Amino acid sequence: MITFDALTIVYMLEIVVGSLLVSVGVHFVPVGGAPAAMAQATGIGTGTVTLAAGSGLTGLLACGLMMSVTDNIWPILASGAIGSMIMMDATMLTGDFIYSYAVGCPYASAKVNYDPITGFSQPPYVAPGTVGQGIPTVCFVTGTIGALLGGVGGAMIYFPCNMISHNPAQAAVFTIGIFFVHSVIPSWNIQGTIEGFHDPKFKKWPFAYKASLIAGILLAIMTVLIQPLGGA
Amino acid sequence: MDAFSMGLVGAVGALATICGASEDIDSDIGSQSNPNSQVQLAAQVGNPHRIYNKAIAGEPPSNALWCTCAAVVAYVLITTYHMPALMSIAAGATFAALIDGVMSTSAYFGRSASQSRFNQWIYLDLVRYTTTSIMAHVWITAFTVTTIAYIQIYMLTPHHPFPLPVIALIWGITVGAIGSSVGDIHYGGEREFQWRLFGQGLNTMLSGQIVRKAEAGLRNTIDNAWFCAKFGGPCTGLGMFLTVFLDNWRTTVFDPITQAPYAIAMGCIFVIFMNLYNFYLEVSARRKYGPYPGYKGDIPA
Repeated sequence: MITFDALTIVYMLEIVVGSLLVSVGVHFVPVGGAPAAMAQATGIGTGTVTLAAGSGLTGLLACGLMMSVTDNIWPILASGAIGSMIMMDATMLTGDFIYSYAVGCPYASAKVNYDPITGFSQPPYVAPGTVGQGIPTVCFVTGTIGALLGGVGGAMIYFPCNMISHNPAQAAVFTIGIFFVHSVIPSWNIQGTIEGFHDPKFKKWPFAYKASLIAGILLAIMTVLIQPLGGA
Repeated sequence: MDAFSMGLVGAVGALATICGASEDIDSDIGSQSNPNSQVQLAAQVGNPHRIYNKAIAGEPPSNALWCTCAAVVAYVLITTYHMPALMSIAAGATFAALIDGVMSTSAYFGRSASQSRFNQWIYLDLVRYTTTSIMAHVWITAFTVTTIAYIQIYMLTPHHPFPLPVIALIWGITVGAIGSSVGDIHYGGEREFQWRLFGQGLNTMLSGQIVRKAEAGLRNTIDNAWFCAKFGGPCTGLGMFLTVFLDNWRTTVFDPITQAPYAIAMGCIFVIFMNLYNFYLEVSARRKYGPYPGYKGDIPA
């Protein structure tokens, strides 16, 4: 049965905030797209949505397990963030094994002259005819931040869905759907490749933020209307 | 924590390693993921080839599809027909492999036929023996992912609240994302272009100039799988192992009900360690390989 009270508004706000966190978090993830798979661009050699969804949904598994034993939101959010960060870091680390030990190249970004975190010079290490390769420290750290935001966002969407329906399966499927929407929206900003917060494209995040705000509000309304109908 | 749970977590880690490796080799045999952009381009720049081409879906959604198919069949057989779990999961994986065979065949015919104007042929012998290799690897991926999900739901404590198909869907997306991010670099960065200078990525000028001759005869994607199984596949397996094992290990060693802060703190330690290890790798690679010889800019190395 559908009820509408102050708690419902809180749940809707949580879904909107979670959506915005996912949307901003995707901008932090250093994706190099297909060129990075040929060591032709800096970042992880796959698509934006692929990676954001892969890490965020791993976080969803962790937060789902935590929510089965507690209703306290803080450990649930933290579990989502940790699960997501572990997946992202494991992926970036093993990807760098291949850049180091198979392709045999140093990691370098072509978007900055010096790494903002380590201060290492970048242009001398960029291979001719490419726009960088590998995942230097700044990209690794920004990827971890992106996974953190994505994981917290995913958990913040899952929490109200499960509180409304008390059905983890249904809440998880809703969360996956909402997560994908907010992974796709920033992809128009990113246009295939982004290196993280030091990339000039990162400055375009307010556009995705506004679009995600509108989509998040619509999805929040749909969620609170539909979720109670299929509750356990 | 008890010895049985730790054994299960170890088994889950081993399954995840096999799962990651088989997923990557499946995508290499089918040339499914990002490096396929060069395979697609090759025929257009005058290099028709004998590479299998099933890239009509990204790795994560397609793997999610196989794993969910396997999990749905297994779930129905276990709950409705009360069949043993191992047989049910094997039957589910067989169904997933058959679905994959249909997709792969139609993808190869469609992709190759669309390039007939560039003299790209359809090789029926490739369809006959490559499709079955792809299906075999998909069977392994679907079987391992469904088994991981089964262990998480029915055996590990605390039991995971999600049903079997949802966990298989999520792990399918995750293994696809890892395979697409890790194993692809070995195939695209190393195997597709072997006659360029070693120690650098693909120069843009060489786009589409993929290697078409093998150690003996013309190269096909089975040859690529032979090469990528030496390093790209195991690295993908390692990535999937770290993801699945570390995540399950911390919630098994520390009880999420009474020791949740410890489980979260342990996760933070893993994340910090991986960041530091990557920094070490970067420093080590810069020291060993050095700057590129042709660099003429103002910024010192």
